[in-house]
Amino acid sequence: MSRMGGRERADRDGRAETDPPERDTRPPTLAVVVSLAAAAVGTLAVIVAAPLGGAVAGLSIVGLAVGSLAGSDRVLSWAAAASVAGIALAAAFGAGPEPLLVAGVALALAWDVADHGLSVGRQVGREARTRRNVAVHAGTTLLTGALSAGVVYGSFVAASGGQPIAALALLLFGGVVLVSAFR
Amino acid sequence: MTAADRERTDPAAVVDSGDETADEDAADANTEAAGEDSPSTERRARRAFDTERWVGITGVALALVGVGVVLRQPGTVLVGAAAVGYGLYARLGEAEEATLAVTRELSDRTPEPGDEVTVSVRARNVGEEPCVDLRIVDGVPPGLEAVEGPARVATALRPGAEVTFSYAVRASRGEHEWETMRAVTRTPAGARERVTEIETPTRLTCTPELAAGSELPLRGLTTVSHGRVPTDIGGAGVEFYATREYRRGDPLKRVDWNRRARTGELATLELREERAATVVLLIDAREAAYVATEPDADTAVEASVEAAGAAFTALLTGGDRVGIATIGAHDCWLPPGAGTDHAVRGRETLATDPALAPTPSDEQFYRTLWFRQFRRRLPGDAQVLVFSPLVDDYPTSAARQLNAYGHLVTVLSPDVTATATGANGAGDSATTENDCRGDDRATAGGARTTRARSGTPCRGNPRR
Repeated sequence: MSRMGGRERADRDGRAETDPPERDTRPPTLAVVVSLAAAAVGTLAVIVAAPLGGAVAGLSIVGLAVGSLAGSDRVLSWAAAASVAGIALAAAFGAGPEPLLVAGVALALAWDVADHGLSVGRQVGREARTRRNVAVHAGTTLLTGALSAGVVYGSFVAASGGQPIAALALLLFGGVVLVSAFR
Repeated sequence: MTAADRERTDPAAVVDSGDETADEDAADANTEAAGEDSPSTERRARRAFDTERWVGITGVALALVGVGVVLRQPGTVLVGAAAVGYGLYARLGEAEEATLAVTRELSDRTPEPGDEVTVSVRARNVGEEPCVDLRIVDGVPPGLEAVEGPARVATALRPGAEVTFSYAVRASRGEHEWETMRAVTRTPAGARERVTEIETPTRLTCTPELAAGSELPLRGLTTVSHGRVPTDIGGAGVEFYATREYRRGDPLKRVDWNRRARTGELATLELREERAATVVLLIDAREAAYVATEPDADTAVEASVEAAGAAFTALLTGGDRVGIATIGAHDCWLPPGAGTDHAVRGRETLATDPALAPTPSDEQFYRTLWFRQFRRRLPGDAQVLVFSPLVDDYPTSAARQLNAYGHLVTVLSPDVTATATGANGAGDSATTENDCRGDDRATAGGARTTRARSGTPCRGNPRR
């Protein structure tokens, strides 16, 4: 009996050593890396256009890093707000449309991937296989942004033979109404 | 449980919420669909809901356009226009049911306790639509401990594509049924989310070999058959019991020749008869008995079952008739018996009976009803071995009552508080004290108590 007991004890000790830690609910590394890289590209584009706007947009990098680390959607939203403010500020200083479009697409991607990473981290965890999921999501968002910016820029170049901005804005308002009625 | 409850309690259904508020209440489609492609997979789709990720994007777009108009700068107008594209993207499509055919393969369906079992899960998209954002959370049985890799994966699947992931669990005694797998699908933009519950019946049965028990101190309540328990009856045996006057017909080899030589009288040696006993092993499996030193350590019920297994083999080998019963909400009764068939039945009862499941049942335990039923089933000449951590009064009072009814009771109490290394140390004084109180209480009623350290379930001297 005591012999059996000895074997049992050895088993239990062995188990105690191999206990897995709690599930890691932080966002996957790939999501964080992609998000920060995209935010850096976006910030760089804003800096090229107008340094002060770039400084504000740069805050979004900090926000995204902190939000991903702390797992907070709220901080991520603040980071997104910072990037929008940075772009608006850069425009106020007279930045051209091209770098701002690039910055807009890149910063949208940065926020989207960070937020996606947060939800994947919560539901699946960092240790699980998530690479494909994050890559596909980042890819579709980037594609959407590129298409959208491309169409907008294309029509801008084609139509802007001295068209007033108000006309463009009215056109856009129509577009927004259309989108809202979409569903 | 309603769908909303499930979504709130399950980690797989955490809703991402931004700091914006919901601006719309989308029409929810509640589609119930069964898997028609794979007979082993059954799917139930929960209703899709808004993740509220992209809420406010249209507002941002309009604000940027407004800023552009005010500043007379085309840059922000264009960025705002591009943001409208994201608004469109967020409204694109609906989170469809995860049309997955799932198979789960175990490296070993009947492992030994402590073995690592590798579980490979293969999920194939049998639908026509691609799952662009799919997260799968497998329902590992609560009694099994996952030791390697999370039982989760996040991926994207084209129609016909499949994903395979594997993890390892450590087998423990009992019959373990896999729970519902949850598959979370999202639209490409992640604006809508739907949980699909997928059932793929998988079972793991772990029937431990019963430990060979050493001799167990039984008490003097026996049957008429020959066995191993020394009785206070003179007759055939090996141990000296008494001498009595010679009667005609006594065998010559039992005549006390020394006495004959000394006094000239004929006397016969009486030897202590050894008889078989009927023993019922009564395991305390009430919710209160599921105590352990640490949250993931083995419970006292586990130790009791182990000890009962050792006692079962020891008694059966010794020629006694052994039965198994539990104190608990679930009914479990293996009538006393002997033989190879009975040994197998006993082993299976101890391993897989739902009454001895690794996690306590939710049902209510009615002590009076239970006691009455147990008494009715208990053969009149049966002894009772109670296995209980004695964390509360009930097992002791039950033992005392049974003892009073004439079923001699021995209580074996696994000391779950003892650490593996400190088994011989002073132990935790509080719990030891508690145990002693248990001893005293039981002893006061005439029952005998044996305390056992975990891992050495039957060691220790019985106290009278």
